[in-house]
Amino acid sequence: MTVGPVPFMALAAILFAIGLFGALSKKSAVMVLMSLELMTNAVNLNLVAVSRFVTPESMAGQFTAAFVMVVAAAEIGLGLALVLALYRKRRTVELDHIDELKG
Amino acid sequence: MPEQVALVPFLILAIATLGGGVMVVLSRNVVHAAFWLLEVMMAVAGLFMLLSAGFLALVQVMVYAGAVSVLVLFTVMLTLRRREDAIRSLDLSWSAAGIALAVLVAAAAAIASFTPTLPAAPVVTPGVEAFGRALFTSWALPFEISSVILLVALVGAVWWAGGGEK
Amino acid sequence: MAWVALIPLLPALAFVVMLPMSRRARNAVRWLPAAATIAALGLSVAAFFAVLAVGGEEPVFRASFTLAELGGAPLAVGLRLDAVSAIMLLVVTIVAACVQIYSLDYMRSEDRRGWYFAVLSLFTAAMLLLVLAGDFLLLYMSWEVMGLCSYLLIGFWHEQDAPRSASIKAFLTTRVGDVGFAIGLAAMWASAKSFDFAVVLHGFEWTVPAATVVALGLLFGAMGKSAQVPLHVWLPDAMAGPTPASALIHAATMVAAGVYLVARALPIFHEAAPWVLQLVMAIGVTTALLGALLAVVQHDIKKVLAYSTISQLGYMFIALGAGSEIAALFHLTTHAFFKSLLFLGAGAIIHATHTQDMREMGGLRRSMPWTTTVFVAGALALSGVFPFSGFWSKDDILMVLYTGGHWYALVAALAVAGLTAFYMTRVCVRVFGGSEKAHAHEAHPAMLVPMALLAAITVVVGFTSPAFAGFLGEAKGWPDLGMAAVGTLAALAGIGAGVWVFGLGKVDTAVLKRRLPRVYAAFVNKFYFDTVYGIVFVGAYAHLSGWLARFDVSLIDGAVNGIASAWSKVSSVAWSADVRLIDGAVNGLAGAVTRAGGRMRTLQAGAVQGYQRLAYGALLVLLGASLLVPFVGTTVALAGGAVALLLMGVLVVRGA
Repeated sequence: MTVGPVPFMALAAILFAIGLFGALSKKSAVMVLMSLELMTNAVNLNLVAVSRFVTPESMAGQFTAAFVMVVAAAEIGLGLALVLALYRKRRTVELDHIDELKG
Repeated sequence: MPEQVALVPFLILAIATLGGGVMVVLSRNVVHAAFWLLEVMMAVAGLFMLLSAGFLALVQVMVYAGAVSVLVLFTVMLTLRRREDAIRSLDLSWSAAGIALAVLVAAAAAIASFTPTLPAAPVVTPGVEAFGRALFTSWALPFEISSVILLVALVGAVWWAGGGEK
Repeated sequence: MAWVALIPLLPALAFVVMLPMSRRARNAVRWLPAAATIAALGLSVAAFFAVLAVGGEEPVFRASFTLAELGGAPLAVGLRLDAVSAIMLLVVTIVAACVQIYSLDYMRSEDRRGWYFAVLSLFTAAMLLLVLAGDFLLLYMSWEVMGLCSYLLIGFWHEQDAPRSASIKAFLTTRVGDVGFAIGLAAMWASAKSFDFAVVLHGFEWTVPAATVVALGLLFGAMGKSAQVPLHVWLPDAMAGPTPASALIHAATMVAAGVYLVARALPIFHEAAPWVLQLVMAIGVTTALLGALLAVVQHDIKKVLAYSTISQLGYMFIALGAGSEIAALFHLTTHAFFKSLLFLGAGAIIHATHTQDMREMGGLRRSMPWTTTVFVAGALALSGVFPFSGFWSKDDILMVLYTGGHWYALVAALAVAGLTAFYMTRVCVRVFGGSEKAHAHEAHPAMLVPMALLAAITVVVGFTSPAFAGFLGEAKGWPDLGMAAVGTLAALAGIGAGVWVFGLGKVDTAVLKRRLPRVYAAFVNKFYFDTVYGIVFVGAYAHLSGWLARFDVSLIDGAVNGIASAWSKVSSVAWSADVRLIDGAVNGLAGAVTRAGGRMRTLQAGAVQGYQRLAYGALLVLLGASLLVPFVGTTVALAGGAVALLLMGVLVVRGA
């Protein structure tokens, strides 16, 4: 029994939706960042899967996924640094308490 | 390198991935959520192995499971004053769920429309060596740029996280 | 010929080098942009001679770089050096070099002068890239960079209120025009599948509707950048920036970019429906008259020059409307020199007297003889007196109008010529004549030398009129004596009237103000443009938010809060001077805006998650709308998408 590209894409789509739900609904900044990681993982999975089944020779999807990982690592590092800075300033990481743009 | 993707390992890893993802979102405890995230990362690394992307699987384990999860855990510990602070409400929101569901439906529709154009699974897959060669030849410029991005992010993170003392 | 690319690259490099520096280091290398600009000037001279040696219509140098493939057609940007760009390069580099050198002394006591020079350098690079661009895409890119630099320089003293709001106003107003530009570009791509000048202007068979849409879009963009009625309101306020920056950006180059754009795209305008060119001319006539009239009543010397610039740009649009890009470009060239000269002179005067109000000046001819000489030379050129350059270019435009049979425009242009001479006489009499009211000292040589250079060019550049036209590929002789006489007569009449009214004091202006209060009020209120914008746009916003308010009862209590007061501040800026004159109605409106701001604040509640959901929801709606297009047609899909977005906004406001 073998698997084609479609189950991988479906899996990635569901993982992405789960991550999106978390990113949109969570009130803790750390939780939002974790949900964002779920979303990038879903994207990477999709890239690698399509690369494996459609253009296995060029591996373009694998390279893109590698660069997505780089950007995601930078993003989580910066994001968590921001959370720390925010916590030092406001003593909270709850996003619904952080509303300084409020008019 | 497996030449075809076998069904059984895929099913196991898929269940691990999705289950872990759901648990990340549904955990009341932030620390538990971080560990479930770690589990998802490992499962995705397994999926990468299944897709003959050995190098990426390795990077996934090192970067995500190794670095990112630890970073998240550290942040959680640094921003919690008491043990009870880790427990929090679930923050479920109907509009967020609606939007996520709509995105899922759109993605499903897109997949359905792609499916007929997909070729049959090819047998041959290049290995890590070919990946490395291409990375340092045709992908050298993006590779170097990404290292600059990481450096900038590193400096920025140190600045933000440590700059508050002055 | 690849070195042509160095011309914009050198000032850009100066900016890039200065960008990461500390403030102190940046101040220390403030000469760097000047050096880069002078090097660019040398290269521009070489480029000019290269074009001169070859002659003809065809570009001397072309280079293009393909960015991507869009729908099978290559999306390319490229450079193009031809006769028009060679002349524009010279104009821009000469004025920019003069302004850079002048600023070295003018800005010497500013704390952040390094940043000023760096931005000026970036601006120069963008303008040079604009005139070298071989396609509309690159032109648009550099156009936007210029807009950014203009914003940064107007708001140079951003710790003060007036420059800050002036910079925002300038950015937003030109942006309104830029939207038109972008639509025009999209329409251009949709029909021609290219932005390249060679393809779009000469190789492509335009249909009349397509050409009309493209021409209108480009015209709208040009109106914003070149401060044409009704988008002229930002330019007088832009005078809050440093004076040398005004000389370069808001007199000589950036505001002329709109004229350059229309002149470049004139073949498309010829393909479009005939009323488009008539519209260009009507806008030009309106702007020229309005600017000249308003320049008469200003007391701020820079505001006089600003309205004068608006008026002269209108003059160029008149020439474009008559279908003569050569007359427009020649006036652009002469205007760039004498108007930057006037601005630099005004800067020297402001520097010496520490005021911009002409009522506090006077008798400067004794203490500042050199500045007086060059300023009067510029004023005479602007007034169109032989042999100064303004005479020649103005005569060209009048001649074009005469041969084209545009009688109304001709009469209006003559009237504007007379008015121009009139208000410049007023400035000269007020500033240099009479008794000395404040102690002043002559400007520093570093400021005088660039002014003297510009003055010399102003005197001689007019004589190149036939050569200029010949260079651009049109045989043209010396001016017709009859038209020259009529033009000179208009200018002399204006000067005579000016001397009569202001020099000899034969007419008491205070009596006029009392006799004609309504007219005077209209003048003081800048013909109510700002007022109407305040009512229409700010008021429409109030209506929209009032409508949204009906969906939301819970928040009526919190009336005055941060954004509400910010909104009322914005609205009070929008009609700053007019509030007193329009009394209760306006005050009521301001109150309405304040209250409405209270409703709208829910949309901007500052909650990150709300923003995220809104963004994703909007993305989904747009995706859905685009999927619907094949089934229900573009219009219905767009309308449906808009309704869905509106509903979503309402839901968010209600806090769902």
